[in-house]
Amino acid sequence: MSHDALTQPRAVLGPGQAPDAAIDVVDLVKQFGRNRALNGVTFQVPRGSVFGVIGPNGAGKTTIMRALLDIIRPTSGHATVLGTPSRNAGPELRRRIGYLPGELILEGRTSGRRLLAHYADISGPVAAGHVHELAERLGFDLDRPVRKLSKGNKQKLGIVQAFMHQPELLVLDEPTSGLDPLMQQEFLKMVREARDRGQTVFLSSHVISEIQQAADEVAILRDGRIVTINSVEELRTTAIRHLRLVASGIRPTDLAAALGALEGVTTLECTVTPAGDAEAVATLSSEIAPFLQAISTLQLKDLMLEEPDLEESVLKLYSAPMPAAAAAGLARHADAQTDVTK
Amino acid sequence: MTAVQDRARNVRRAPLPLFGKVFTDSWRGLLGWALGLAAAAFLYLPLYPSISGGSGMQDIIKNLPPELIKTLNYDQIGTGAGYAQATVFGLIGFVLMTIAATSWGAGALGGDEESGRLELTLAHGVTRVQVAAARFCAIAVKILALSTLTFLAVLTLNDSARLEIQVENLLGTSLMFGGVSLLTASVALLGGALSGRRIGGIAAGAGVAVVGYIFNALGNQSASLEWLHNVSPYYWAFGNSPLSTGADPTTIAVFYALSLLLAATAALALRQRDIGV
Repeated sequence: MSHDALTQPRAVLGPGQAPDAAIDVVDLVKQFGRNRALNGVTFQVPRGSVFGVIGPNGAGKTTIMRALLDIIRPTSGHATVLGTPSRNAGPELRRRIGYLPGELILEGRTSGRRLLAHYADISGPVAAGHVHELAERLGFDLDRPVRKLSKGNKQKLGIVQAFMHQPELLVLDEPTSGLDPLMQQEFLKMVREARDRGQTVFLSSHVISEIQQAADEVAILRDGRIVTINSVEELRTTAIRHLRLVASGIRPTDLAAALGALEGVTTLECTVTPAGDAEAVATLSSEIAPFLQAISTLQLKDLMLEEPDLEESVLKLYSAPMPAAAAAGLARHADAQTDVTK
Repeated sequence: MTAVQDRARNVRRAPLPLFGKVFTDSWRGLLGWALGLAAAAFLYLPLYPSISGGSGMQDIIKNLPPELIKTLNYDQIGTGAGYAQATVFGLIGFVLMTIAATSWGAGALGGDEESGRLELTLAHGVTRVQVAAARFCAIAVKILALSTLTFLAVLTLNDSARLEIQVENLLGTSLMFGGVSLLTASVALLGGALSGRRIGGIAAGAGVAVVGYIFNALGNQSASLEWLHNVSPYYWAFGNSPLSTGADPTTIAVFYALSLLLAATAALALRQRDIGV
């Protein structure tokens, strides 16, 4: 794909150049009647990065996004989007944003092409042919009536609608929902390309696996609070790994004693294999270097250390009592904050 | 790195996209209402000569309970203007226009918000006031179109049905007909904007129209209830038999001004609220 015109409508800043964040949310609180949907949420999203927010249903992901778009007004706190306070922001700001709502409801009696043409009319300018390009990429038929589209195809229409005017900021609420795995991959590619062009992407999901490939940073949201903000790399290092090892020349009880003493080893079970060796199955939730050092003295016959299971560790953060979960994430949270503002 | 395209070029935008969208979405409905109104005029009005022409019809009407006659405004049915008023402008046409106006008004903001579509529209480069204004203007145009159609239908039948309605009175009454309908639509618009639900708009719009009709009918019954006429938009519009005596321009202006005021209130109400909660 080649772009003929090169005049950039605005400066696209590279990493480290960003003097201001694309999104700066400070102590956001939203009360719906007696229900507190957001309970003091603070985070920054640097320009040109992909920031994911994950959390169980009802954690407040959609509420944050709606507040950024000025669809709802926070009870207290404030959000600055692309340098402009979001509250009562004018249409100029929203032209620079592409938004995909979590519950996408589209006018049914028209075709995808006509609906997109309407949104293009009230959105930032859309380059000629770009809608067609995006639709082709997602394998989506623009001429079918919207009401006849499957959930996945409606979602594609919503994605095209958000991307078509190449906005500086993309706010995507559960963007992969309804997409098949192949399309999820294509979508994540689009997200990475958007970032490479200097666009900022803020997206949510209730499962990390959907966004871990694309997100630079992930905030975990629970009950209207941010439990932790980590890079996916950081999450990976602390994530739970399942391990299995077989060692000879050691009794299971000794192996259990040796491994059980190590930090981060849990759900340890040691048994004797048919060949008479000792086998240990456990989960590891600490970094692996100290663990490997510790087991280097064993006569290992087999060692299997699985891919870290981010899902499982995130689920643990969802379900752990709030103070514990916060403590687990707090140190990193602080790091992440300083990183972001650097 | 791929350069960001020059997006300012190659852009064609529809003029007044929010306003125009209403028509691309609802032209079928508008056509349906137009057919309904035309059918009402073309079914009722040609019957006038047979009713006025000394047949038994006048006797039948005389034998109806006087309360019913007053409720249906059949007391002036002996003239062409009275007949057209009682059948088209005051009854079947009024009902059709009220339903159309209420559903358009209630759907424009309340219904759109309830369905979840308004959220996505507002996430684009528009203000809430723009959306409310464009949709109100579209409703006004649709109602004026239907009023014009009614005007033309009655005008077409004026001679053949021997109605003998003066053209300027017909014009004034048609504008009044549009005004009272636009008022209903604006109340429905406001109800929807305040509640964020279609039903809020329907309750408000239909409520005002129905209560106005009932107050007019009750006020017709006795002198002690006549004060109800003061709070009946239906009476404001048709109480002085505009088809035979001419429509008061001030009253017409009041209807349109009041509608504008209600629409402005709806826009401001929408601006204050959280959408889709």
